[in-house]
Formats: sequence, structure tokens, C-alpha cells
Amino acid sequence: MPGFASLLAASAAIRVASLNMCADEYLLLLAKPGEIASVSRLSRDPADSSLWRLGQRYPGNRGDLESALKARPNLLLTMGGGGRSTNVIAKRMGLKTVDLPFPMSIDDVSTNLSTVAAALGEPQRAAAWRRRLSQLRGSKLALRDAIFLGAGGNSVGAQSVEAEWMGLAGLKQRPVPGGRASLELLATRPPAVLLRSSYRRSERSIGQTWLEHPLARPKTSRILEVDGRPWTCAGPLMVAEVERLRMQL
Amino acid sequence: MRLFLVSLLILGAAAHLLLPWAPLSEAQTIDPGLADLILIELRLPRTLLVLGYGAVLGVSGAALQAIFANPLASPDISGASSGAALGAVVGGYWLGFTQPLLLAACGAAGALGTLALLVTLAGRKADTATLLLAGLAIALAAGAATSLALALAPSPFAFYDAFDWLMGSFTDRSMAQAVAALVPAGIVTLLLLRRSRALDLIALGDDVAASLGLRPKRLAMEVIALSAIAVGACVAVAGAIGFVGLVAPVFGRQLSRGHPGKALVPSGLIGALLLTIADLAVRAVPLDRPIPVGVITALFGTPLFLWLVVTMRRRVTA
Amino acid sequence: MTRLSARELAIPGRLQPTGLDVHGGELVALVGPNGGGKTSLLRALARIEGAAGIVTIDGEDIDDAPMARRRQLLSFLPASRDVTWPISARDVIRLGLDRVDELRVDEMISLFELDKLAKRSVNQLSTGERARVLTARALVGNPRLLLLDEPLSNLDPYWVLRFLEIFECAATSGHMVLAALHDLSQLDRFSRALLISEGRIQMDEAPANLVASERFEEIFRISSANGRWSIRTPADPRSLP
Repeated sequence: MPGFASLLAASAAIRVASLNMCADEYLLLLAKPGEIASVSRLSRDPADSSLWRLGQRYPGNRGDLESALKARPNLLLTMGGGGRSTNVIAKRMGLKTVDLPFPMSIDDVSTNLSTVAAALGEPQRAAAWRRRLSQLRGSKLALRDAIFLGAGGNSVGAQSVEAEWMGLAGLKQRPVPGGRASLELLATRPPAVLLRSSYRRSERSIGQTWLEHPLARPKTSRILEVDGRPWTCAGPLMVAEVERLRMQL
Repeated sequence: MRLFLVSLLILGAAAHLLLPWAPLSEAQTIDPGLADLILIELRLPRTLLVLGYGAVLGVSGAALQAIFANPLASPDISGASSGAALGAVVGGYWLGFTQPLLLAACGAAGALGTLALLVTLAGRKADTATLLLAGLAIALAAGAATSLALALAPSPFAFYDAFDWLMGSFTDRSMAQAVAALVPAGIVTLLLLRRSRALDLIALGDDVAASLGLRPKRLAMEVIALSAIAVGACVAVAGAIGFVGLVAPVFGRQLSRGHPGKALVPSGLIGALLLTIADLAVRAVPLDRPIPVGVITALFGTPLFLWLVVTMRRRVTA
Repeated sequence: MTRLSARELAIPGRLQPTGLDVHGGELVALVGPNGGGKTSLLRALARIEGAAGIVTIDGEDIDDAPMARRRQLLSFLPASRDVTWPISARDVIRLGLDRVDELRVDEMISLFELDKLAKRSVNQLSTGERARVLTARALVGNPRLLLLDEPLSNLDPYWVLRFLEIFECAATSGHMVLAALHDLSQLDRFSRALLISEGRIQMDEAPANLVASERFEEIFRISSANGRWSIRTPADPRSLP
């Protein structure tokens, strides 16, 4: 009998290993400590995840099946991984698998929350999150012109899930050519609100140097520093981000 | 010498299968069957893929060098690997990944396309400079197209998979994938090996070969098509890996005393060995971040490639 | 006596439909201006891709002969002496045989005085040394018909004469030798000369007659007098290029 099926039969307790930082978010936010077997190493890295303190309580994996196995999971949580057959192999080894699609909208985030909660055996755990979400969506705010600014001027798409989150905070992401805001754009047509990402701020890179340029802080814009880490996955952690932005604006 | 090579290869394969040892011994303590499962479902496909892909690169690199009469021809420089990656990406993200064999076919089609483009652009009897320029141009174009395809793909995660496609990865490849790549690649490689003697005779020049009863143009088409299919199938599963196809034949020809056709088998063995060592380095070195296999092959391949260019220069000016 | 019979030999754009008969023992020179068709004729006889026509040796059609048999019938030496790969001289000669015959290879090595060069890579030899190795390869299989494109180029005088001796020897023992030549000074060693120009065999004579003919002087634009060559004065001064 495949190794994990026996484990599964032995105890009804779920133990989940998540192989992807964005999938980790759902697991860390919804699961009880005994249910988390392993998270990806990125979720244990302060530079990449705002949940790193929580993540460091659990063993880390390198994003592949073999490194997750030693934590004895009986369910595998994945997101992405095109050329790999991780789920196929995991099933053959007797593991249950849940593959989350990358969210293209806030509805997708909500669906993912429900999926993970259901996989953990208690769909009601997602209810609190859904409530917070509907509260945010319920109160429509007037939209102000805004640009999200990351390293090197990289921004987000005007139709992207990140822009949808900004909408909940009363900010309308301006469409910028190539998804990148140039210094010239910031100088000639500065946005009403500028969100500057602090992701990996202390590291030396061309992108960070770009952000230090005086023109990247237009004088007429309302500038807000944001923690860039939740924005990478644009998942449930954005709920707190939006609530915080609403209070600041 | 060959015996030594084969024993090294067996040793390397065993090491690749069993190292790193820690996860296996940990698995043993969890559940007696678990270590076996890891070996069979995770390690075995990976080792088979590494050996097979390496051998394919060696053999097709040697065959391409023989038919282009140029020691710098190879799947990567000719653009075949990049074309295969493009084919696999377009096929995978637009047609879906569930059919490994179909994906292998897409990879083969991509490789065939770029090789056909190379022959059209540079011609078969091109001098080194023309061949290199045309091949590199095609490889760059295909690589750029692959990145574009990944950026525009329906799945937003595709872009993060770029490393895997453009620099190679053997992580979490299933036995089904290994079979889908290696069975066609294996058949086609055997067909290539059958042409070893003909490739030896091509070394005397197309005219002499034709006077002996060979058909050089048809042989060239066959070698190009067979190499493309073999490389394409492997790239579709594990991404494009460079330098092995360029470097293994150099050593293969040392063993065959310069004969380009006899070098096919030793090049295959050496290619398998090189890729096994590269993938071992990727896995056994305890780094928290994954390094793609293509980076390791570039690391040892680049100095060898430079040495090759220098010796070629010396020969031309002598 | 062995005989070669070729009919309707043609290569589009290079060689007009041509026929040719050669007997064993003949040492035939192919002469003519650059691009005139000497090489094309040799290549057509060697059945290199794109050649039309039928070539038979002793009644046997070459196109129907399997590879092993072809080597016994003919061998071709191209004008280019380039070899890409670092193969030893001895191994290159071995490529001319499809079975192992070290005695025969040794014969060729001593015939072409390659003893000291046998183990060296052929692409590190001088052009003249390479010419000897490649010619040895062409001869090692002992084919009935030898097709040689500019066999005497890149050779120093000693070797020019040695090669001619070797070819004469081959002819005497019954083989047929066709050699395309650029240098006309050795023409008198050949038993028959073909003048090829504009894709056709223009003349087919004994060398002495060929050289003396008006046709020859027209095509080559040189004339011979007292054993010396000089540029021929054109009939019409305005036709100078």
C-alpha cells in the first residue's frame, strides 16, 4: 500500500504540505498548527513573506515533492509548476492533492479560501474571511487616480487582481504602457496617490536605485509606503492591506 | 577507455539515484515502503531522464557536427534546443500539459522548425562564422519568443516557469514524462547510430561520399530531422540544456581518434555522464535556493567552449 | 580488358549531354579553361548527385552497384584537400577500404612515403602531404577507374613526377585513369587528352596533336613554339578584354 495511504487511514488528522509561497498564505491563515506539515522556504524568509514568523514555526521545503515528504504530509497543496508532474506523482504515492489556480480576480481568492478550508475539513473557516471581504466590497468608495510603484518602476495591470484590490481601497490603478511607470510619466502626470513598495528595499539592485531617484517621489502626489510582500501573491493578505490603506487615505 | 567510461557512468547513475541520502533514510523511519516509493516514483524517472537526455545531447551533437563538418555545431548553437523549448511552451500553455507525448511532439516540431530555418539561412556547407551567427541569431530569437510566449500565456504562472524551460529542470518529472521523452528519443537515437559509418565517410567530403554511393543531401536531412526529434522530445519534458551537446562530442572524438561517425556512441556516454554530474551538483549541494541545471552546464561548458575556439583559431592560422 | 562506357552524361548548367569511352591502360588528361566542365565531367562519371546519364564499367551499371561494389569499380579524388577532422593519415587511408587490410594500407603508406606521417593528424599536414594521403585513400581500394581532379596541384616537383609514375603504373596494370589538369607541362606523359570547354568535349586526341591544333590555341588563347608557351596574338586587336 502506498506509504501515505496507510498514514491517511491510520489517523483522520490532516497534515498539509504546501509547495508554493502563494499557496502557503491560504494554509497559514486557515489551518490549525497541527495541520501544517511543511511550507515553502520563501514563507520562512522575512524578505519575501509577511507571514515569515508564522512560517518559521514549521519545516520548510524547496518547492519540490521530495523535500516536502519528510514532514509526513497526507495532503499536498500546490499552485503553478507548469512542466512538473508533482500532483501526478503525489497521487501515485497515495497523497491527496489540491492544486490552486493563480487568482485572476478577488472572486478567485475567495474561491481559493473556500477550497482550502474545505480540504482542511472545515469549510466554515473561510467564513470570517468572506465576511471581511463583503464588508470591503459593500462600501463603495470614490476612486482616485493611483499608481502602484515597485522596483524599477514596475507597476500592475489596470485590469489585474492587484488593481481590483486597490479599487476596494478607493484607488484606481492607471493603465501604464508596458506595465511600467517611467520617471517621465511620474514627472509630467503624477498620480493623485502613489503607492511605493518596500519589497527588498535594503538590497542593492538597479531597480532599487531607480526608486531612490527624486522624480520617483513626485511632490504633488500623496505618497504611501506599502509592504510589497503581500502584493506578490495578491491573495488573502491583501484584505488587511486594503483595510490599512482605507484608514490611511 | 570505454570500459572506464561505462563504469564511471554506472557509478554516476547510482550516485544520482541514491544521493542525497538523507531524505531516503528519513523516509525509511517514517514508513518502510516510503523510501522505495521515493526511489521509484521520484528518483528513478529523474535518473533515467538525466541519463537519456544527456546521451541524446551527446549523440545528436556529434551527429550535427559530423553533418555540418564543424566542431561548433550542436543542438544549442544551431538553435534546435531553443526552438524545442518554444514549441513545448506554446504547446504546453495553449494546448495543455496533460498529454506528455503530444508535448514531446510539439518540442520536436519546434526543433525541426529552427533547424530548417538554419539550413535555409546558412546553408549546410557554411563556414564557421556564418553557421555560428545564423545559429545564435535563431537561438536568441527563439529564446526571446519563448519568453514572450510565457509572458503572454493564459496562465500567469507561466512567466515564473521561464527558468525551467530556458535553463532546464528535472524536478518532479514523472515516469510517464520520462517515457514520453525517452521512448521516441531512444528510437530516433538508435536510427542515428545506424548512420555512424556513413557519417565517417562524409568526413572525406560530400563528393567523395557521393562517389562511394552515399547520398549526402539525404543523409543531412535525415540527421537533422532525427536530431531535432530526439532533442525536441527531451526539451519538452526537461527544458533546454546547453553546452552538453557541444562539449561531449569533443571528448567523444578524442576516443574515436577523430572519426566523427565513430564518435557518436562515446559522445552519448560522455553526454550522459556530464549531465548526471551536473544534476547531482544541483541536488546534492545544500543551497536553499534551486540552481537550474543549465547554469551548471554553462559553468563547465564555457571554459571548454573557449578552449575549443582557441584551438580552432590556432589550427586555421597554422 | 576493362572498359568504361558513358552515355548522356549531363549536369544541368555545367555539362552538356556527353558520351565517352575509355579502355583499360589509358591515361587520360582532361584539360580546359576554368569553369569549362572538367570537374563536372569527372563528377558526372563519379555519379555525384544531380548527374544524368548511364555509366557502365565492363557492362555493369554503376548506379545499380551496391556500396561495397562501387569501391571496386571507381574512386574519386576531389580538387579540395580540406579535411575538417583530426584523423590520422593511416586512418584516412583505411577509410578507402570497407574491410580490414593492413597490408594494403602499409603498401600505400610506403608507396607515398608516408611512414613518418602515418600517425599524424591529417589536418595538421601541409597541403602537399595531405594530397599524398588523400590520393593514397583514392588508390587503396584498387578500383578499375580512377577519377582525379587536379591530382598534381600543391605538389613539389619530385612528387609531381612520382605521382605520374604511379598513375602510369596503374594504367599499365589495366586500370583506367582520368585526371583533370591545370598545368599543361606534364601533358606529354598522358596517352590521350580531352579538351573540355563550355560543357562539352571539344577535342579528343593524342596530347601532341591537341596542343598543336588551332582549336586548342583559340580556346586557351596561348600558343606553343619551340617548347615554350606564349600568349597568342588575337586576330582582332579590338577583342582584347
